[in-house]
Amino acid sequence: MRRVAHARPLRAATAASTANKRLHSAAGVAVVGVVVLALAGCAGGGASAADDKTLRVAMGSPGEAQIRVWESVAEQFEAANDGWKVDLNFQDDDMYQTIGLPNLLNGRNAPDVYFEWAGNRLATRNDDGFVADLTPFVEDGPLTGVLEDDQYGAVTADGRILMVPHIADVTNVLWYNTEILDAEGLEAPTSWDELLEVCDTLAADGIVPIASGNKDLWAAGNWLAHLVSRVVGHEEYDKALSGQADFDTPEWKTAFGYVEDLAEHKCVNESVNAIDDNEGAQLFFQGKAAMHAIGSWLVSWAIDEAPDLDFDFVNLPAMPGEADPDSVIGVITGYVVNAKSGHDKQEKAAEFLALLSSAENTQAFIEAEAVPVTATASASIDERTIRLNSLLSEAPVVISPPDTGYDLDVADAFYRSLAEVLGGRTSADDAVTQLQEQTSK
Amino acid sequence: MRAHRPLAPYLFIAPALIVFGFAVLVPFVFTGAFSLTEWDGYSEAVFVGVDNYVRAFGDTVFQQSFVNVVIYILVTLVVEVLVGLVLAGIAISVTRGSLWFRVAIFTPVMLPMVVVAVLWSFIYNPDFGLVNGALRALGLEDWTRVWLGDEQTALLAICLVSGWVYAGFYMTIFYAALRQVPTEVVEAARLDGARENTIFWRVRVPIIRNSIEVAILLCVTGGFQSFDLFYVLTNGGPYHSTEIPTTYLVQSVFHTGQVGYGSAMAVVLTAVVVTIGLIATAIRRRGDSDDRPSRKSARNTTRNTARNTVAQPDPADTASVPTLEVVR
Repeated sequence: MRRVAHARPLRAATAASTANKRLHSAAGVAVVGVVVLALAGCAGGGASAADDKTLRVAMGSPGEAQIRVWESVAEQFEAANDGWKVDLNFQDDDMYQTIGLPNLLNGRNAPDVYFEWAGNRLATRNDDGFVADLTPFVEDGPLTGVLEDDQYGAVTADGRILMVPHIADVTNVLWYNTEILDAEGLEAPTSWDELLEVCDTLAADGIVPIASGNKDLWAAGNWLAHLVSRVVGHEEYDKALSGQADFDTPEWKTAFGYVEDLAEHKCVNESVNAIDDNEGAQLFFQGKAAMHAIGSWLVSWAIDEAPDLDFDFVNLPAMPGEADPDSVIGVITGYVVNAKSGHDKQEKAAEFLALLSSAENTQAFIEAEAVPVTATASASIDERTIRLNSLLSEAPVVISPPDTGYDLDVADAFYRSLAEVLGGRTSADDAVTQLQEQTSK
Repeated sequence: MRAHRPLAPYLFIAPALIVFGFAVLVPFVFTGAFSLTEWDGYSEAVFVGVDNYVRAFGDTVFQQSFVNVVIYILVTLVVEVLVGLVLAGIAISVTRGSLWFRVAIFTPVMLPMVVVAVLWSFIYNPDFGLVNGALRALGLEDWTRVWLGDEQTALLAICLVSGWVYAGFYMTIFYAALRQVPTEVVEAARLDGARENTIFWRVRVPIIRNSIEVAILLCVTGGFQSFDLFYVLTNGGPYHSTEIPTTYLVQSVFHTGQVGYGSAMAVVLTAVVVTIGLIATAIRRRGDSDDRPSRKSARNTTRNTARNTVAQPDPADTASVPTLEVVR
């Protein structure tokens, strides 16, 4: 092949030379193109479009009904602010909670307003410089008078208001099927002994006492975290989950022992660690289980999926001992303004959040089956939801769920050890020892 | 001598190289770099040297994940490759309805794995699922299990789903290979009185040895890359009994935000898969070089081979395999 090429006449060689030059040029263009692409790809670096007139809002998907409310709020904002546009970004919930939000915050068009959970997550965002101080806007600005001062208590750090609370959720109570309990001649349990008694009676009659879908560990994890916090006390619970105290103590072993009792009394479905929260709820909705331990969101869910279900709730039954008998496990969620957005955008973001909390939009959220913290009791809110809100607001102690209130590593280890005890795989003592080993690494 | 168009070859491969570079090489280099840091994905990364690797090698869950994936691969070699081979043998043997048979077996391959996983999660559901429902209907209540929630059955249950999907894929590969088997060899065996079963195991299968080797390599390396089926069906549970390296590293990176540690696990996993690939290649080369000296004598004994297979009906006897391979 090479010999043939060199034997070409001059004109052909010249043509070949020209072609060669073109190839060189093409190669050069290709290399430059690659470099430009690479530089363009690397240019993000977390820089946000701080000065444009687009307000970017990010959150996990709240469902179609609430998305319509958000779109309406965005339209209202755009109508009131000439030249401004609102860009709503709804991500899959799990994606948003894990890698979605960090990616967005570090992207080229970082959100100016984003959904977050109060607690450890909010503190982490604050430490990373993604949380604007809303105090000036609350004291004398668009957010003045939107919420009562004490509603900012859980989202204030070092005198800085970090978030506008939007919804307060009780993340776990014990829901019960009124008809099943009535048919069995049982009352909703309010103490530990009553709970075990109810479990024994129901299990003997072939009814699953408490349905739980704990495949993803948080569903029963939340419930049992509340249970053990009632035994060790909320301060000890907070210290251990924050890494300031050990788990491997007699109190924690006693607390885990109560979880062991639940397993021994067959209080939960055999499939507890094999099915997810949706499947767990279906056991309750279809009347296969008498009780279900899950959060306040069950109200709208059950009304949609099991409209004929007659259900009510009790808070976690009081545990033996005197530690926090009336505590409630719950979390506040709301919206944070990105500190990396420019000052003008921060102010517009505050205006947007004030608009979100207006009476008209609050009512729209209620109709979309969400109850914002700005809501007041009305006929359009389910009576059980009003009672849940009262339960949370009047609670002497509010326990933070491990996965939103504390480091995820610790929460994960904690949930796993609880799941092992609940599934009857590991004894309480061994689970606590394992948990201590894992969290000490 | 000087090449007339020295850049031309490079330009031809440039697009592929660019895609490979951006999609594989650069991420791999970055993963290697991240593995030396403690990083949550967005805040400041802290250089920790090989600490993540030390942690990975001492992590019992990570070790268990490799045991699980090896078990998974061994079982899938049977339920995917061997079953696929048998199905291909059936498909090549039947004269009527072969097309419908192949379509039916291949259909699961066309379904997205997440859809398959969701479908089977309903089938395995202990309370409403088809498997337990059928067992109860047959009066076999004692046989019902929490299939995906029992450490004893969860991994096997996943292997069966994997087999249901991929047996059709391997059947297609083997069927295509079996179609290439020279008819004269098969006919020779038939004339010598060999039964179909013997012809399949002693004539056809040795001839498609190369396809079987590729299938095994695909099954083994693909097994290490499995993720979606495990993630949807059990998410590594119960109690890590179905945890495999990919689910564990995704859990570390995307759930608990340990990008550095997850990257170290990814590097270890890549190293294992590449090593297996290299070992397989080396074995293959050695096998090929062992075959070469016998090539001449093999040619002379080709015809006798088919006859020998009739005289030695034991399918486990592979003495004739190299000879038939050379025939191809």
